Amino acid sequence: MMETEPTEDIDQPLRDRLKAHPGPALLWGAVLCVLLLLEGPTYLDGLLGAIGYGLALLPGSPGAEAFASASAFFGELPHLLSRELIPNRGYYDGSAWQGTFLGLEPKYAWLIRFLLVYAYVAVLLGWLWYGYVLFRRHYRAADWTPTDDVIDRLRSHYWGLFGLAVVVFFITMAAFAPVIGPTTAEENIEGPYSYDMQYYNEDTETVENITIGEANLGSASRGSGDSNVGIWSYDDFGRFHPVGTLVSGKDLFTFLAFGARVSLFIGLGSMAIAGVIATTLALVTAYYKGVADLIVVLTSDSVQAMPALLLVILATVVFKNHWIAELYNGAMLFILLFALIRWPGLWRAVRGPALQVGEQEWVDAAKSYGQRPTVIMRKHMAPYILGYLLVYASLTLGGVIISVSALSFIGLGITAPTPEWGRAINIGQQYVASQSWHISLIPGLLITLVVTGFNALSDGIRDAIDPQSEGAEGGAAGAAAGGGGG
Amino acid sequence: MPGTAADTATEGTQMSESVVDTVSHQTGETLLDVQDLKTYYEDGGLLGGDPVKAVDGVSFEISRGETFGLVGESGCGKTTLGRTLIQLETATSGTVSFDGTDITELSGGDLKEWRRNAQMVFQDPESSLNDRMTVGEIIREPLDVHEQGTARERREKVRTLLDQVGLMPEHYYRYPHQFSGGQRQRIGIARALALEPEFVVLDEPVSALDVSVQAQILNLLEELQEEFGLTYLFIAHDLSVVRHICDRVGVMYLGNLMEVGPTEQLFQRPENPYTRALLSAIPEPDPTVQVDRITLPGSPPSPRDPPEGCPFATRCPVRIRPEDIDASDAVWDRIREFRDVIRERSRAEQSIGERLKERLGFDTALADSEEIVDEEFSDVDLPRDVREHVEQAATYLSDGDPDAARAYLREVFGGQCDTETPQYYDVDDGRMSFCHRHAQEHVSPGDELRRRGYDTHDG
Ligand code: SF4
Repeated sequence: MMETEPTEDIDQPLRDRLKAHPGPALLWGAVLCVLLLLEGPTYLDGLLGAIGYGLALLPGSPGAEAFASASAFFGELPHLLSRELIPNRGYYDGSAWQGTFLGLEPKYAWLIRFLLVYAYVAVLLGWLWYGYVLFRRHYRAADWTPTDDVIDRLRSHYWGLFGLAVVVFFITMAAFAPVIGPTTAEENIEGPYSYDMQYYNEDTETVENITIGEANLGSASRGSGDSNVGIWSYDDFGRFHPVGTLVSGKDLFTFLAFGARVSLFIGLGSMAIAGVIATTLALVTAYYKGVADLIVVLTSDSVQAMPALLLVILATVVFKNHWIAELYNGAMLFILLFALIRWPGLWRAVRGPALQVGEQEWVDAAKSYGQRPTVIMRKHMAPYILGYLLVYASLTLGGVIISVSALSFIGLGITAPTPEWGRAINIGQQYVASQSWHISLIPGLLITLVVTGFNALSDGIRDAIDPQSEGAEGGAAGAAAGGGGG
Repeated sequence: MPGTAADTATEGTQMSESVVDTVSHQTGETLLDVQDLKTYYEDGGLLGGDPVKAVDGVSFEISRGETFGLVGESGCGKTTLGRTLIQLETATSGTVSFDGTDITELSGGDLKEWRRNAQMVFQDPESSLNDRMTVGEIIREPLDVHEQGTARERREKVRTLLDQVGLMPEHYYRYPHQFSGGQRQRIGIARALALEPEFVVLDEPVSALDVSVQAQILNLLEELQEEFGLTYLFIAHDLSVVRHICDRVGVMYLGNLMEVGPTEQLFQRPENPYTRALLSAIPEPDPTVQVDRITLPGSPPSPRDPPEGCPFATRCPVRIRPEDIDASDAVWDRIREFRDVIRERSRAEQSIGERLKERLGFDTALADSEEIVDEEFSDVDLPRDVREHVEQAATYLSDGDPDAARAYLREVFGGQCDTETPQYYDVDDGRMSFCHRHAQEHVSPGDELRRRGYDTHDG
């Protein structure tokens, strides 16, 4: 809590309070810098790469080259969570493992890297949380804010925390996909015949060279006979596969990690766009009411009346050769489509709260001293609906992930070779009853887990922002709350 | 009645004291001049429908430094009037001149600039403060909007304001949740005063508070008025509060000002029939005094469809009756009830579905028109001409045309009150009343009330 300071200090802005008492903030900042620097090259690589990719889309691609090469430069720099630092690939030369981390078995080398990634993320998040605690303790002028209550409620909501943990697990998997798998997508999935590897040939007792593509042929999981590389096992070439291989012999774990990227990218991207549309419309209609509201009601009704899945299928076919479908193997197209289809649902969810907050007298008060409408909507209305938006967006996000997988499952959607979970399920479908059951089952379980995670998180947020809804177990009160929301 | 004369005498002296007291900060100069102000809401859906005539032609003046009270039942339009005066609602017609400027014409930058002059304290302290902002941010926002001074000066100003409304400077970083209703209202007052306005609309500022807190807030408001020379429009339905704090009072009914005048005179000798009815609802402090309250029949008509003529005509106990019909008071009562029922059936009260059916030519006839007539008139003796008229109306009704029935009844039973809008009569020093009965040719409202068997305040 704040020490008893003289009253003069009570309205110091944050900057002055930091200056007056810099110790904890400096220490915290220094540690954060170290944490970020450990992985700095990765962040810069990703950021610059994304900018370069964006620029390349513009006519004439101004500066795209420069960004791409800068990105590549940072990609080369050493950092903590890298394959170079903790390699898991090597060969057994008859007596010891060569090329792996500390000469460990690939299994353990990979496991160390995998755990290190999660440890790093845990420490980073913990440190950010600690920063918030420090801020509350030393620098925030208010002893208490309404957000504190929300956070406290979320902290004791175990189902919600479980959801949060799952979501973080999933996001980490997506973000660190290039280092978290036992191999990379580029070498193993996209261009296996462009890369070589070494392995120990037991027959000849020599170390031989082979292209990864050829090796994959020997590590395929096809259900019958010898050709199966299951969970937690090595293939004939000394490669470790944490969750087995695909029918093509490619590493399933790597496939799933990159698949998480696509799913998450589409899910978050479409929800971000739909969320912006829904919030803007909800605020505008709640503020101006009347005709504005009517127009949006009609538009959203007509959007919702369209058969969503059919529309998506139609669009993927129509846009097949359009440049927009080229972006990230169609992921961009899906983002736009799902944003278009899902905003009415989100809008309906926040419309009630928006209308309610629009009726509050503080909105009138702001009008009465001449506050601009945009500021009124942002400052006096939006904070009250964002919680609800978050709740419904994370619910809907699960739905989008399922839809994308479903489309890949039926052969539409994200085109090969870009990994997508639904495609793995599709590929492995015929082997479900065989020893190669992992091909379908693991991605299936992951989807279930992730969607459950998002739902749990949304439950947690809902109960945190709106404690009355808690305990009203499906009763009349729950129904009323749901009705009020729609 | 024991003590009446003495009571009046003491109240009289109190009155003159309070008048002296309040006059001290009045300058007599007009600050706000409202002329024939109308505020209608067009909230009709696709099928149109009549607008809500929340304020329907109101004129009055407020002088600089005075507290002008606005009373009336809920839904009479007093809050809308207050909101129109500070341009939270757009006037449909009429003018509001503030210090000589017609503010209904202002827009854009001029309007924003003018808004400094007029602020509002809201009714519900729970709803008037944004819970996600600190008290400091809330009070500072008006200053930020009008970019007054540097950030430091604004914070300084907020702390001064906190002090002026009886809060602590260290409340700056607290959130509204941490305050009681009374304290929240103080925060709302500080926000309203931040821009140093001349005119403040107080919309039932104490009605949501505990009685013990009400007095504190009222005292604070009076002190602040003294200190800053504020002009107040005080909206209330608690008449004792109005009597305590206001210099002059306007009584509103269905979007119209029925009577305007200095508080004490108006409370002691109400003139307008509606004011009399309203005041007779105040509980008598002395339980031994027997008063026959004027209880108003029925409910106020919908402001979408106010009566032609006098707005109070549907419920007025002393409505002027046409001379060519001779009936007893009991019969007139039944006729009024009958007309109420039919009014409710007529167009303005229809649901959208019914209106749609009517447009499409479906029969919306009332199967029960006979029943209605029976119910109303079975136990009274109707004079022959009255019975004929009632039966004629019933025919229209069973033809599915309540509008025609209604028009017919107004034609035959409506007197001057139903057809002509009254004018304002000067009834006293600085007092005006909106009623035909003040005209020479009619019996005055007070006399007529007594004749019809009611007790009156000025008895
Ligand atoms: S004008 Fe007629 S109806 Fe209106 S108040 Fe006067 S007497 Fe009553």
